[in-house]
Amino acid sequence: MRDVFVEIWESVRRNKLRTCLTGFAVAWGIFMLIVLLGAGNGIMNMAQGNMEGLNVHSMEVYGSTTSKPYGGFKQGRRIELDESDIRLTAGPAFTDHIDEVTAILSQSGFKMTYGKRYFDVGMTGVYPDYAGQNQMQILAGRFVNKSDIDNLRKVIVITHMQARNFLGGKENYDSLIGQRVKIGNLSFKIVGVRHAAENENDSELYIPYTTLRGIFAKSNKIDMLSFTFHGLETEEDNEAFEKEYRQIMNRYHGAAPDDERAIWIFNNFTMNMQMDKGRHILEVFLWVIGIFTLLSGIVGVSNIMLITVKERTHEFGIRKAIGAGPWSVMKLIIAESVSITAFFGYIGMVLGMIACEVLDSTVGSNPIEVLGESITIMQDPSVGLNVAVEATLLLIIAGTLAGLIPASKAAKVKPIEALRAE
Amino acid sequence: MLIELKDVNKTYNNGQPLHVLKGIDLSIDEGEFVSIMGASGSGKSTLLNILGILDNYDTGEYWLDGRLIKDLSERQAADYRNRMIGFIFQSFNLIGFKTAVENVELPLFYQGVSRHKRHMIAMEYLERLGLKDWSTHYPNEMSGGQKQRVAIARALITHPRIILADEPTGALDSKTSVEVMDLLGQLNREEKVTLIVVTHESGVANCTDKIIHIKDGVIGEVEMNAQHNASAFGTSTIMK
Repeated sequence: MRDVFVEIWESVRRNKLRTCLTGFAVAWGIFMLIVLLGAGNGIMNMAQGNMEGLNVHSMEVYGSTTSKPYGGFKQGRRIELDESDIRLTAGPAFTDHIDEVTAILSQSGFKMTYGKRYFDVGMTGVYPDYAGQNQMQILAGRFVNKSDIDNLRKVIVITHMQARNFLGGKENYDSLIGQRVKIGNLSFKIVGVRHAAENENDSELYIPYTTLRGIFAKSNKIDMLSFTFHGLETEEDNEAFEKEYRQIMNRYHGAAPDDERAIWIFNNFTMNMQMDKGRHILEVFLWVIGIFTLLSGIVGVSNIMLITVKERTHEFGIRKAIGAGPWSVMKLIIAESVSITAFFGYIGMVLGMIACEVLDSTVGSNPIEVLGESITIMQDPSVGLNVAVEATLLLIIAGTLAGLIPASKAAKVKPIEALRAE
Repeated sequence: MLIELKDVNKTYNNGQPLHVLKGIDLSIDEGEFVSIMGASGSGKSTLLNILGILDNYDTGEYWLDGRLIKDLSERQAADYRNRMIGFIFQSFNLIGFKTAVENVELPLFYQGVSRHKRHMIAMEYLERLGLKDWSTHYPNEMSGGQKQRVAIARALITHPRIILADEPTGALDSKTSVEVMDLLGQLNREEKVTLIVVTHESGVANCTDKIIHIKDGVIGEVEMNAQHNASAFGTSTIMK
């Protein structure tokens, strides 16, 4: 192995300039590939930001409006979910796939008071999963937990904007945990402060579902039910399950079994799958562009190697005359080609990764103002270790391909060449 | 017999078919010091190529050390060349970017001998040829005679069955030519190396013990020359 590298070094040393020029093309190709993939990742990370940390094996079900007349009812009838739907969903019909069923219930028109400050608010009764499913950011304290649900505790999670207001503009949210607020004439304990999107009018308070249901609800209606499931790994499985679920739910609510509008199902899993598919397509697209950029570099290497073989024909003749087999000569050329490609490719890869870092610290961390809204174009534009490994493999394969034609030319050199005078 | 050629024919088919070797019968025994002499176009280079397994022949048989050399794969031919034949060329054919000792090592490299060992052996041979101090020099730093001695060391290092020298003095002045031929003669006498020298110079041929004349693709006269007085051109010098 060492001998091979000594030979390569001897050859490269004699042709520094042209090796570097060729190497530049390879480095440029792989640099572009890494930057493209990094930027692509950044954009996808941004788009996918909301989906992150989401319990993907879950669906949400909402009541909607029928689109077909059925069972004596006209179309356009409003379907409302209530607690019997929770029992039905959790019931024997779906035990094969459905694990846990939760629901949320919202009510508005409350007044929350803390000292002299007050807000007009709506409240949503939730189960503990809700935080994870909606990627809620808890800034202080905790979210609603199971014990709150079981004990119908009067606990509440407020937004950071409300908290800031309560604290008179300060942000030491921790000091609010354990404090009490008044809702109507009931006292609630603050257990958590969550982050709310500042530009959306998000001021919803979260309390345990059972508390809201027990204290305020006038009926058994629910706004949404959600459940986690297992054993549905393909899109077809999910579609089949959704169809079956829809049939049973529709029939229960007196709607046509094949009415796809009566209830509305939001499947986080297939949604995520489609996001992944989109990401994959983008990635393939970027790889293709990157590889084509790299290709010009590879052609350059191949070209240089052809010239090298031409120049060294006499030398190869001598080597063959004194006992070099065709493979040993081929190996020399391929190894040189791979070395040049890998060395310069590696430089390009490192520079590409540095460029991604620069991108991250400029575009990535500075939101730009578009029509009064601040938008971050990229989030964490970088490539993972797997891409680095793939790119390395790509370089080795590319180097081998680049060396293949020149190497077979070298292997075909006749040993009689050695006898020709230079 | 170390080398036996039976009715070897070779035709080149470049446009006009050219029958270069027309039934060569030749046998050379171990330890002989032979020259093959002929004018250019006589077929002596083709014969050398065939003897050196650098080229194929069409019909006939070539036995080298009891092995029939015919229709070998490239790899096999390379291996036979490496183990059985040492080459000395007119233009030395040293690799320019390798030092003297690296050049000498090269045949052992193709035998898979370890770096350290082949370096040791190569140094040994350079020392025997009086080039120990030149081992780290590149060919372009050496004189013609020195280069040819490096080439001889390279040819000897694998203990080949035969050494083929193609116009070994062709690029040397007459004084150095005498030295090189003396060296070859000495190797033949003292180490029992079988030597075949291909030349068109009668003076060079005269240094050998047996002169095989080749003309128009057939073996002509075979001159026994133990006394080294075959040529009209001087018994003690090489005419250039």
